[in-house]
Amino acid sequence: MDFLSILIGKTIILFSRTFNLGSGSTWPGHIALKLNQNFCRNILSKSKAIKIVVAGTNGKTTTGKLIASVLKASQKTYAHNVAGANLLNGLASELIQNSTLFGRIDKDYLIFESDEFALPQILENVNPDYLICLNLFRDQLDRYGELDSIAKRWKNSIDKHDSITLILNADDPLITYLGENRKNKFYFGLDGKENLKRLKHGADSIFCPKCSTRLTFEKVYFSHLGIWRCGNCQFERPKPTIIRASFYPLDGIYNKYNTIAANLLLNKLRFNNDQIVEGLKKFKPAFGRQEKISYKGKAINLFLAKNPTSFNESLATIMDLRAENILIVLNDRIPDGLDVSWIWDIGIERILDSDINIMVSGDRTYDMALRLKYAGIFFHSEENLENAINSMVDNLDSDEKLYVLPNYSAMLDVRKILLGRKLL
Amino acid sequence: MKIKTLIIGWLYPELMNIYGDIGNIVALVKRCQWRDVRAEVKMLNPDFDYKQLDDCDLLLMGGAQDRQQTIVNNDLKRVKKYLKNKIDDGTPGLYVCGGFQFLGNYYKESDGTIVDGIGIFDLYTENPGGKSERLIGNMIFKPKVKGLTLPVVGFENHGGRTYLGKNIQPFGEVIVGFGNNGEDKTEGAIYKESFGTYAHGPILPKNPEFADYLITKALERKYNSKIELKPLDESLEEKARIAIAKRLGVNL
Repeated sequence: MDFLSILIGKTIILFSRTFNLGSGSTWPGHIALKLNQNFCRNILSKSKAIKIVVAGTNGKTTTGKLIASVLKASQKTYAHNVAGANLLNGLASELIQNSTLFGRIDKDYLIFESDEFALPQILENVNPDYLICLNLFRDQLDRYGELDSIAKRWKNSIDKHDSITLILNADDPLITYLGENRKNKFYFGLDGKENLKRLKHGADSIFCPKCSTRLTFEKVYFSHLGIWRCGNCQFERPKPTIIRASFYPLDGIYNKYNTIAANLLLNKLRFNNDQIVEGLKKFKPAFGRQEKISYKGKAINLFLAKNPTSFNESLATIMDLRAENILIVLNDRIPDGLDVSWIWDIGIERILDSDINIMVSGDRTYDMALRLKYAGIFFHSEENLENAINSMVDNLDSDEKLYVLPNYSAMLDVRKILLGRKLL
Repeated sequence: MKIKTLIIGWLYPELMNIYGDIGNIVALVKRCQWRDVRAEVKMLNPDFDYKQLDDCDLLLMGGAQDRQQTIVNNDLKRVKKYLKNKIDDGTPGLYVCGGFQFLGNYYKESDGTIVDGIGIFDLYTENPGGKSERLIGNMIFKPKVKGLTLPVVGFENHGGRTYLGKNIQPFGEVIVGFGNNGEDKTEGAIYKESFGTYAHGPILPKNPEFADYLITKALERKYNSKIELKPLDESLEEKARIAIAKRLGVNL
């Protein structure tokens, strides 16, 4: 049965690549699971690969890629699911693509990034050796539900799998709580030296996950990440095993977290610091995550901005890079969440300098336009994305860059225009 | 001319602010400032001094996560009497989603547990649970209020179904979407000058006619005179509403 699934799946992958129909990142898995719902378990039970699952609202794809670039530089073999194909069918597709026809996987490592909602199901099917939990922020309330209910689901699911080694963010109270009452857990955090002026609004989880009292923060890095404690039940930020990395390949505080998390995992896998640094130096960003694309001879930088925290941090990072031309693209399709009210939770008026050339576009051009109007920021708007991009690019001086802040499906649209075809 | 001041009481800003509710505050404040009306926001967090309500000309409350709703529910019981007086007295207010449900008689959870509301609005809410889906999506409704002529465009996301009693009027009639319960085409509620609604999005920036209505009522009540707010450019707001209406097949 699995032989058949793999055969069909591999054929679909070959077909879709040959005819450029997309990379076939979910369909093969979807069919395999229809034929046998234990498909992933079966294949994985025959594999000796070390299995790593990465979860979190922001940074999963980047963290997976950071780990992968170190594995690659150390000549290890690995499989990593395609960005965005992070439900069970994406996992099954990853397995089909990387197995022999007889379902054997000859890889040293399997990296799987998991959707927030799918995590319990993924853990059931994978029973990974390591689980990295990066953070939990407000994202897509219409799809995921509220933050607390996601955290509760995660905790219940993780408690059923006590052999997993947990790599957890000490600075996020909801993530710290996942390690409560269990062994095999290691924490990462920041070293407290970050110099921060922003935040306050958009703090998603400022209540104690144990007793619901308001937490006190000695330091806030962004949103609700920081050095925290509960004055009532004494639950507090655990001392992290690791608080810095020797080398950071990407800008932004959020990427410091991703890099430190990858370092902690790689330490546990017994990679030494030289190997890690060497691998990270070869890192290439994932689609749309600080990706640099050349278009009409101009430099375009894509900074995915898909929820309030991701938007705030991407914006703050490009301000540090002295961005002067910004295109914001807001869509409201299924992968983005249909509800765009989150744009009112971004702190745009506190982060943005006034003399910047800004254009807004996307399905929800005018919602974003209103957000900027009420922030007292001058902007241009153009519903047609291609026209918006071209009008920005044509007005750039040769040494100027265009920074694009798109949410998820908008990022895919932007790439398609810049690269002339769909690449995901 | 003496400068007018509007004091907005934001009930539980840290706990009841999950759906970009701050956008409603921003819209009110800016629209006042653009007319040279001073706007102040009082943050009414749990354990606030109920006497602060006396100073408020306009009240706002948004939605929240479950855990946070419990904290708010307990605190609301403490100030119930004062809040009721304030609302009965005609203080304008906007209560969105969770805030709207709290003002009703009760909320029946999917397991049958009854959570008491503070009973200012004659309505109750039930979460059918089980296989019943949350009511989620873009919505348009026609307000049934003198002075509001434009359809309101918003986004709803609620598990509870709300049913109005005899002593309360719906805010409007659903054109597209679910509204209070997905059955009777009613959306929201009006009691005196207080509005309950499931429309977030947030509702006020995109529906400035309603934002100005609340500001006008609040100022008229405070200064005891007829107020005519200076018209503002609303072309972006209109484009934002039309973009959604077009997609939903509605001619605004």
